[in-house]
Amino acid sequence: MEELIKSIVLGICSGGIYALLAVSYVVIYKSTRVFPFSQAAVLIIGAYLMWYSLIVWHLPIWLGFLITCMGGAILGGIVERAFMRPLVGQPILAPIVVTLCLMLLLRGIGIIIGKGDIQGFGESFLPMGAWQIGFFHLPKIQVYGMALCSLLIAGLMFFYEKTNIGLGMRVVHEDHVVAQNLGINVKRIFQYSWAISCMVAVVAGMLLGNIQGVGLALDANGLIAIAAVLFGGLESFMGAIIAGLAIGILQMLTITYIAPLLPGETTMMIPFVFLLLILFIKPYGLFGLVRIERL
Amino acid sequence: MSININRPCGTFDRNYFQAKALYRTPLRKALLILLIIGMYLIAFFIGDYGISILTLICAFTIGMLGLQIITGYCGQISIGHAAFMGVGMYTVGILQKHFGLSFWACLPLAGFIPMFIGMVFGIPALRMKGLYLAFATLAAHFVIVYVISNWRSVTNGTDGMWMKRPGPLWGIDFQSDRNYYLLVLTITILMVYLATNLVRTKLGRSFVAVRDNDIAAKVMGINIAHTKIMAFGIGCFFAGIAGALGGAYYEYVNIEWFGLDDSIWYLGFLVVGGFGSIFGAIAGATVWKIMDEFSTLITPLAETFLGGAAFYASAAFSLIFYSLIIIIFLVFEPRGIAHRWEIIKRSYRLHPFPY
Repeated sequence: MEELIKSIVLGICSGGIYALLAVSYVVIYKSTRVFPFSQAAVLIIGAYLMWYSLIVWHLPIWLGFLITCMGGAILGGIVERAFMRPLVGQPILAPIVVTLCLMLLLRGIGIIIGKGDIQGFGESFLPMGAWQIGFFHLPKIQVYGMALCSLLIAGLMFFYEKTNIGLGMRVVHEDHVVAQNLGINVKRIFQYSWAISCMVAVVAGMLLGNIQGVGLALDANGLIAIAAVLFGGLESFMGAIIAGLAIGILQMLTITYIAPLLPGETTMMIPFVFLLLILFIKPYGLFGLVRIERL
Repeated sequence: MSININRPCGTFDRNYFQAKALYRTPLRKALLILLIIGMYLIAFFIGDYGISILTLICAFTIGMLGLQIITGYCGQISIGHAAFMGVGMYTVGILQKHFGLSFWACLPLAGFIPMFIGMVFGIPALRMKGLYLAFATLAAHFVIVYVISNWRSVTNGTDGMWMKRPGPLWGIDFQSDRNYYLLVLTITILMVYLATNLVRTKLGRSFVAVRDNDIAAKVMGINIAHTKIMAFGIGCFFAGIAGALGGAYYEYVNIEWFGLDDSIWYLGFLVVGGFGSIFGAIAGATVWKIMDEFSTLITPLAETFLGGAAFYASAAFSLIFYSLIIIIFLVFEPRGIAHRWEIIKRSYRLHPFPY
């Protein structure tokens, strides 16, 4: 029982990052209807940016955070303008292939800027140590990470609900052509979506880099978050958050109960088995929009 | 883009014999036969390096044909194709190691076992299409790679397995690279013939119908479930055969060869080659392997340019180089080399006039 509670609490903590990542996928998918596989590699870029700012350039933490966020936003804007905009109106395969290739392209850039090594932050930029609550240790790094994630998601929701650009995004989500006719600059909205989403993804990247070490293996988290996006439904923020936490809990339960039974990287495999199960049972996820097609 | 649509304007069939023919004009037939003879003869004039490239081009052509059937003809996006190729390779390796079967006995099984696994992972295709299927095949990739790399007693884990080349058949020994190339070439020609005819059958036409609009296809009386599962099965059959041939060429298999990147390159170079045509698959595989050689040639240059250790610079270089090529193709020529080739042919035929 202690084990169970422990895994669930830790899972919720690590699930915050998955929720953040899932939200970053949803932001793009909602407005552009392109699924950004490339977000998995944006994580790597974000982690390296933060690493460069803190360790190589010796900047203060807040400045490093700012630079990383700006870098992510600029990266997203460039990606949208250079690679995604020429593909508007192409069949669904074209954006899928392009985002997959972008994932590898960004990964290659990550190899070059990181020289192929795994780097660490040395002193973590979030407080270290742990709180002793009852029978288990709660690492501060996870809790602060979770708090930062919740803050960002809350900010994003506020942006989505209350600002004009957010309103534009919601309209574009309904229908691209209608939005265009209403005088919304759809291309601009696409660009904002990519910029915001990449900004969110780099924050997730730096948090993950802080925990797991800055390296190319970070993109595995991005791929696992795909399972979360699908579980929650591709178009739902609420679903993304719940499913992100669920995937975090699932992973911790895997570590506690399944990893002793099976060899190898079960934490990588179980989310994908889960993804397959979702696809078999409820392909549109918890809150996803079931699209009815007509001839 | 079925066969008929690729034809130039004004070319049509007058009787059933013409409609059924594989080649329309005697010149085409002659050129095709010349090409095949040339492919056989070239093995006696080039060195081991050339033969290795040609063998790999042939093996990957078969795999690419499989993806062409799944994605190009049936429209079901697969991001796990390299993993199915790996299943084919490991089938041969496991059967040779644990059951002592000969390569000839393994080869059909190397097709049928990936076919079965592909059909299982294709089941989600019954309920959804497009993006969701891409997720299913992505998950399939990870599950397959996990099973292969962790079922150590059977697959030898991440250490890889040794494979044996086929034994002699009718007095021909396939141990040498040249003879093995001739074998692979023969199988490739057979598979290309098979695929060409497959897309002309009822099943192949229903693939195209499902790709273009699956609801319309259903209305026309096509059994969508059967068609999609068959597309997955046949595509993975091709992938398995390709894997078996490629693995036997190296006489070794390793799970490292079937990363997610390889699956993505499969899909990407299929786009570069051209969607929905057999020629596109062949062109895609050829371009891919030539790029491979080009990037190994140019790697020393990239190292001096990027500075630093060889190992990571070459890895980064090929990633960036390939992905840029695929993206540029998708942006500027989304229908690939096959389409460009049609345009060149047309402008040659109509030479003084633009249309």
